[in-house]
Amino acid sequence: MEVKSRMRRTASVAMVALMGLGLVACSAGGSDTPLDPDEVSGEISLLTPIFEGSPGQDLLEDELLPKFYEEYPNVKVNVDYTTYGNLNEKLTTAVVSGLVPDVMLMGVGWVEGFASKNVLADLGELGLSESSLKEKYTDAIVDAGTWDGKVYAVPIMLDTRFGVARMDILKEAGYDSPPSSWEELIEIAEATTVRSSSGKLERAGFDMLSLDARQAFETMLFSAGGDIFNDDDTEPTFNGPEGVAALGLMSDLINKYKVEDIGFTSTDDIVNPLINGRAAMGIAHNNLWSQTLAADPTVIDNLEPFLIQGEAPGMFFGGTLATVAKNSKSPQAARALLEFLSSPEAALAANEQRGNVPALTELLDSDYVQSNRFVQFAMENLDVAKREGGPAKWLEVRGDVAPAVQSALLGQSTPEKALDDLAGLVQSAIDR
Amino acid sequence: MTVNTVRAAAIASPATRKGPKRWYHHATGRQAALINVLLTIGAVTMLVPFVWMVLTSLKSPAELAQFPPTVLPQEWMFSNYAATLDAAPFGTYFRNSLIIASTHTIITIALGSLAGYALARVYFRGREAIFLAFVAMLMIPTYTKIVPQFLLVKFMPLFGGNDIFGQGGIGWLNSWWALIIPGGLSASAIFLFRQFYLSLPKDLEEAARLDGLGEFRIYAQIYTPLIKPAIATVGLLTFQDSWNNFLWPLLVTTSADLRVIQVGLAVFQQLDNTQWQYLMAGTTMATVPMVLLFIFAQKYFIQGFTNAGIK
Repeated sequence: MEVKSRMRRTASVAMVALMGLGLVACSAGGSDTPLDPDEVSGEISLLTPIFEGSPGQDLLEDELLPKFYEEYPNVKVNVDYTTYGNLNEKLTTAVVSGLVPDVMLMGVGWVEGFASKNVLADLGELGLSESSLKEKYTDAIVDAGTWDGKVYAVPIMLDTRFGVARMDILKEAGYDSPPSSWEELIEIAEATTVRSSSGKLERAGFDMLSLDARQAFETMLFSAGGDIFNDDDTEPTFNGPEGVAALGLMSDLINKYKVEDIGFTSTDDIVNPLINGRAAMGIAHNNLWSQTLAADPTVIDNLEPFLIQGEAPGMFFGGTLATVAKNSKSPQAARALLEFLSSPEAALAANEQRGNVPALTELLDSDYVQSNRFVQFAMENLDVAKREGGPAKWLEVRGDVAPAVQSALLGQSTPEKALDDLAGLVQSAIDR
Repeated sequence: MTVNTVRAAAIASPATRKGPKRWYHHATGRQAALINVLLTIGAVTMLVPFVWMVLTSLKSPAELAQFPPTVLPQEWMFSNYAATLDAAPFGTYFRNSLIIASTHTIITIALGSLAGYALARVYFRGREAIFLAFVAMLMIPTYTKIVPQFLLVKFMPLFGGNDIFGQGGIGWLNSWWALIIPGGLSASAIFLFRQFYLSLPKDLEEAARLDGLGEFRIYAQIYTPLIKPAIATVGLLTFQDSWNNFLWPLLVTTSADLRVIQVGLAVFQQLDNTQWQYLMAGTTMATVPMVLLFIFAQKYFIQGFTNAGIK
């Protein structure tokens, strides 16, 4: 009872404050309402799947947060570190118990689910506008933080997947540049595949198996010019002609053109096959650059990123976004932290620590981006990159994508049937 | 004196006599060689992952990238262990894991044996129903219990700022209570203890009662000393479960000071990038207490598994 009345009081105060803020935001014509550091106060909690381990913790607590406290001396931040692998459980238990952290960092595709459950604050009501975000980020990145026409999250870092070629191997086979079409991809992959006299695969022409099957398929789907869902996210479209063509190509590369065998590589491999020359080309994460620098810097100059060009240039992006809890007792302090973490200085440091792609367009010219060719390539092509997610039920169904893709790759199902069955599952989840 | 008399009876009882020798105890010549070869293959199969883990922990990233992989490290990178210890506060994590695992083990042995004894040897109304309820609990998957257990911990009355109705605070969250109490006793431990107590002869109990012993002394001085293998088995299994627990400590704590060794190891498995050399070095270090514990308790442990029919 006491809690309820206290909550009601807090809610009333918050409502009045938010209404006031909303009016200010409207009068500002869509630009952000600046915060007054002297008036922002409170003890807030931050749940983060990044900044893990001593290096990440040192960066956050010894370098970044002291700068935040300089600007906002009346705010105290308690940090709860977790991993992406258990972020969903952490958030779910927090939501059901009502102890939602004030600021939560979560992945692309996660925002919709938690926004639809009324867990996240509409950042527009807190003084952040979509139009001002679109001045700093590409539209697709801003869209990743929106749901139902409202902004719920601000991006901090991106994870991208695109094609990577070992140019030394391609040149040996007589090719001077990475493939610029699916036909060339097949041709080069066949030319660079190496098998022993007994037929055992020694080098894959195009590796798709060291990457999560869902993300590999999505990259190929985007390359085919397809989308995962329709414009209003009410129906899956990945089983359309583009999706069937994309999964068909993946299946053909394995079963018809024999450029990779099932089991040749896996997501659990110690090292990416592009680093040790077990693959000539493949779909890879942008942190392959930093992995290569750690494992074998001598091959770094041979790695060439490329967009997988089909009907459209194919590049996938995921990432980490910052959100504020709807029931935060210190919403302005939470907004201050969110803005700080997504600011150029903090975002750049976080990206550099993980070898990731900054979401802020202005960071393209930073030394870090210019010194990391994969990150630079990803940033230069963000305008064509597409993301996963869309419907609120995406987190529930995304685990079903990989088995469907794998069944087609194993020849247990045709690409069309695998995708149609999956679309049925996804549609019933959306309709529930 | 009384207790000694009963113990003498126990020694003479069939339950403690050694069983007949198996056929493989008499194997000679080819048969013995075959058994040894099979056992060696089994032992090597078991050892290979462990050896691979240790060797991987001593390789450089460059060597791990080589294909085909090397067996022995070209350069023995003992510095991986120092780097691993620097990557997270492993000292704190080790301490926390040790406290939690030890406490769980003590609680389980103390309370689990009492419950097991009651279910096996004390007749009371509803005993079978309670036992069946424990058996049913064994069937509930851990994941389905997490949210209800979390809510129980969060709404614990009069703790963490909560009122008598469990409202207003955080209950046991972010405290040692949340780490120790919910995992302190398991249905499987009670089940195992019950099975062990059931296997002991009733004569001992009757003799003890004739000698004037009360229920607690029969439990503590007559029966429990005879189930050392059970204590070792349940103790080791509990310690191992607790030591390897990852999700629960991560969920109920927010402070790094209360995190455990498995949470520390997760640092090396980032999205799309695993630092294998450090992960294996950390895992090797995390395995040491379990290996030591097993070495010291293996005699009883194996005996316990054989008696309980767990294979």
